[in-house]
Amino acid sequence: MKKYLLLSQLLIVIFFITGCEDSYDKVPLILYNEIDPYILEFEEHILTEANGKVDIEVFDSKNSQLIQNEIFDDVLSKNPKLMIINPVDRLSSYTIIEKAKQENIPIIFINREPLEADLDLWDQLYYLGAPAENSAVIQSEMIKDLFGSPNDLSELDKNEDGIIQLVLFKGEQGHQDAEIRSEVVIRELEDYGYSIHTQILICDWERPIAYDKMNELLASLEIDIELVISNNDAMAIGAIDAMIDNDLFVDLDEDGIINRESDIWIPVIGIDGIEEALEYIETGYLFGTVINDSQRMSEILIELTHAIINGDDLTELSFDMIDGKYIWVDYHRFERD
Amino acid sequence: MFKFFKNPSIRKSILIPIISIFFFSLLLATTTTFLSYQKTTSDFAKESSKEINKQIVLNFDNYIESVINTLNYIQQQTVVYGLDDNNDVLFDIYKQAADVQPDIESVVLLDINGNVLVSSSYKAISLENLTYRNWFIEATSDKSIYHFSSPHIQDVFSDSTANVITLTNTADYYIDGEKLTGVIVIDINFSSIINLAGTTNLGDGGHLIIFDNDNSLIYSNNNSCNSYECVTLDIASDIIIGGKSVEVDGIAMYANINTLKDTRWRLATFGNIEIIDQTRENNLLTLVIILLGTFVLTLLASNYISRRISSPINKLKDHMQSIEKGDFYKKIEIDGQKEVVVLANSFNSMIEEIKTLMEKLVLEQKEKRKSEFIALQNQINPHFLYNTLDSIVYLSENKMNEKVMEMVIALSKFFRISISRGKNIILLKEEIEHARNYLLIQQIRYNNKFNYKFEIAKDVENYKVVKLSLQPIIENALYHGINTEYDEGSIIIRAFSEGEKLIFEVEDDGYGITDEKINELYQNIKIETKSNSVGLRSVYQRLKLYYGDEADFFIESELDVKTIVRFEIPLERAK
Repeated sequence: MKKYLLLSQLLIVIFFITGCEDSYDKVPLILYNEIDPYILEFEEHILTEANGKVDIEVFDSKNSQLIQNEIFDDVLSKNPKLMIINPVDRLSSYTIIEKAKQENIPIIFINREPLEADLDLWDQLYYLGAPAENSAVIQSEMIKDLFGSPNDLSELDKNEDGIIQLVLFKGEQGHQDAEIRSEVVIRELEDYGYSIHTQILICDWERPIAYDKMNELLASLEIDIELVISNNDAMAIGAIDAMIDNDLFVDLDEDGIINRESDIWIPVIGIDGIEEALEYIETGYLFGTVINDSQRMSEILIELTHAIINGDDLTELSFDMIDGKYIWVDYHRFERD
Repeated sequence: MFKFFKNPSIRKSILIPIISIFFFSLLLATTTTFLSYQKTTSDFAKESSKEINKQIVLNFDNYIESVINTLNYIQQQTVVYGLDDNNDVLFDIYKQAADVQPDIESVVLLDINGNVLVSSSYKAISLENLTYRNWFIEATSDKSIYHFSSPHIQDVFSDSTANVITLTNTADYYIDGEKLTGVIVIDINFSSIINLAGTTNLGDGGHLIIFDNDNSLIYSNNNSCNSYECVTLDIASDIIIGGKSVEVDGIAMYANINTLKDTRWRLATFGNIEIIDQTRENNLLTLVIILLGTFVLTLLASNYISRRISSPINKLKDHMQSIEKGDFYKKIEIDGQKEVVVLANSFNSMIEEIKTLMEKLVLEQKEKRKSEFIALQNQINPHFLYNTLDSIVYLSENKMNEKVMEMVIALSKFFRISISRGKNIILLKEEIEHARNYLLIQQIRYNNKFNYKFEIAKDVENYKVVKLSLQPIIENALYHGINTEYDEGSIIIRAFSEGEKLIFEVEDDGYGITDEKINELYQNIKIETKSNSVGLRSVYQRLKLYYGDEADFFIESELDVKTIVRFEIPLERAK
């Protein structure tokens, strides 16, 4: 009896030492980079929306696919019911998809769209994002309103040469959104008939890089800049900060607001609609932005997550799903009233 | 099992708990140590293997990034400067890019029909239609990504033998203000990839492989791996991504598979962890040896200790058993624990005491028999009988029939009580009756030369007393105490209780006895010497035999006034 007791205690101790795998009820949300203000805002919306419905656990890949792979591998071993992944490198999604298919764990990709061929590998994959082209089209519409007819440009053509001198801040080279946004906005402007002179600065979506590259450009360039287009708000704000330092924005009456009529300014147009961008629009520094509706996306994301986890019928959701995997949320134009 | 634990011997009760406690705690300690060691080493193996993999992947990532940066730079320059008649500016830029980075074999810009627009190399362009090349088809099919080809013989030129990887992407350029899209082709010398992988230490048999998204081999630094057969490639394509312990050709390895940034490639490292497994086995062996060694030592030590403790006790037990059989004369000698030695000594003293007591008992029995014999003599004192019978003869000669009758009755009663059917203890009133008959006979014999009186407390009459204890004292008072020559002597006999004692007194008003004489009498009575005070001594001894130390005997005297002989017995024993 005594011996059995000891033996059972021994087994209990061993059991605790070796540890036991408990069930993992959370939904991992693996973000590409929490330094990106748009991503941070998106995360906040998701968490607010998820509150009480889905238990989300956030991981930050710190803009490294290596780290993301490691997080993915760790999370996978916990055998979650579903994963939400914002890829760092869209080409690597292939590997993640193969592995998830092997382990039978559905994935919702957000923000960066994997290759179509990769998404077609399995029917348990979803992509939630905004149509990149749409944002660029909205940007070009705002520009058309600003500069007017190609044959008779508005006073924003400061040197009156009939050509728009513009600087385009591009996100990561090879990033699908960056490529499409840049290409489409230029194409739209050219197709409308504008003569443009484009200077492209690749700044990896980051505000400090944009600030540095703009400063560099302003120091070396003789020509005037008449328009700044950015693939996202963060880079637009970096560019504005550099232009403020170089007196391209001057608040002459010192009322804290850039007045279109009386102060010195250059139109800057961003994308995303992050909190800080809205403040810059309020004070007149940022002309406008295209809101990437992360609020609506978060609602959809949580609804979809909830439905997948509970095995609900995905044809009866409050949003449209194309080909059973793509969910598109349109952009909105936003500028000062 | 329960039977086994019931009333265990000292040895067992020491051995079983010590051995089981030792064994289980040792087992526990060994198991936990080994498990935690195993966990730590396997975690360590995984971690270090992961770190090595990450380091290699980072090297590749950095290299790929630098090549892409070059491509971006060329794309930008191409769109900025455009093409003029002799393309000098772009040629210089392309050539410079290829020259600065020695791993770049060539940079070529093709138009959408596969015609070469700018080339950094002077080599002759291939005559084949370049639009059929895989890298050309891929570049034009998806503009948003960079395309890295598998290693192949450089095929953009007609007579190159270089083994290259081709990086392609579309590029915009202007000709006479018209914007066109072409394809940039950068050929990277494959040896640079080999160099990146070269110096990593993955242990004996450890190696890395790079493979494409269709699981075709790009590169391996393992000689036994080729594009037709590669064991580790199959393992890696099964794992897809992440880390896993695997066995390759009977060698324990830890596989790590990671993606390479901006490409469709994956890099797998196989690190040899055999050494860790071996260390673990050695460790386990050492632990088991220590466990068994300690267990054997414990077994021996506890056996020795329990034997040392139990053997003196067993010796004592054997000795006791021999005493049970009646051998009182063997002394036990034990070396061992203090407690057992003390126990043995006490045991020896106890046996000694028992021996003394037994001898004393034997002696007492002898004494008792002797005094009983004397008492028996007293019962039928022949002198007393002769004298009494003489007196009766004398009385009958003088026709004193009344007196004769009185005397014969008294004598008869005297003897009846003396004998009392052999009983030693009789009622106090019977003893008094005995004394009274004795005195009656003596009074007649001595012709009323003395008188006597009994003062017996009513409440003590039914107490019991040793037979013939009073008569010898009265006889003593009669012969030695009273003075019958001058006047009538008188004797008072008392019996009463006082506290816890029953007291008898015989008082006479004779000459009295000096103190020295009293001491001499005490000596005679209480200490064994041959004496003439046989009567008193026999009374004293019998009292002591029956009542022990609680019985006592006193003589008090006042010269020419009185002498009191008193004895006391415990009241409790008289009931």
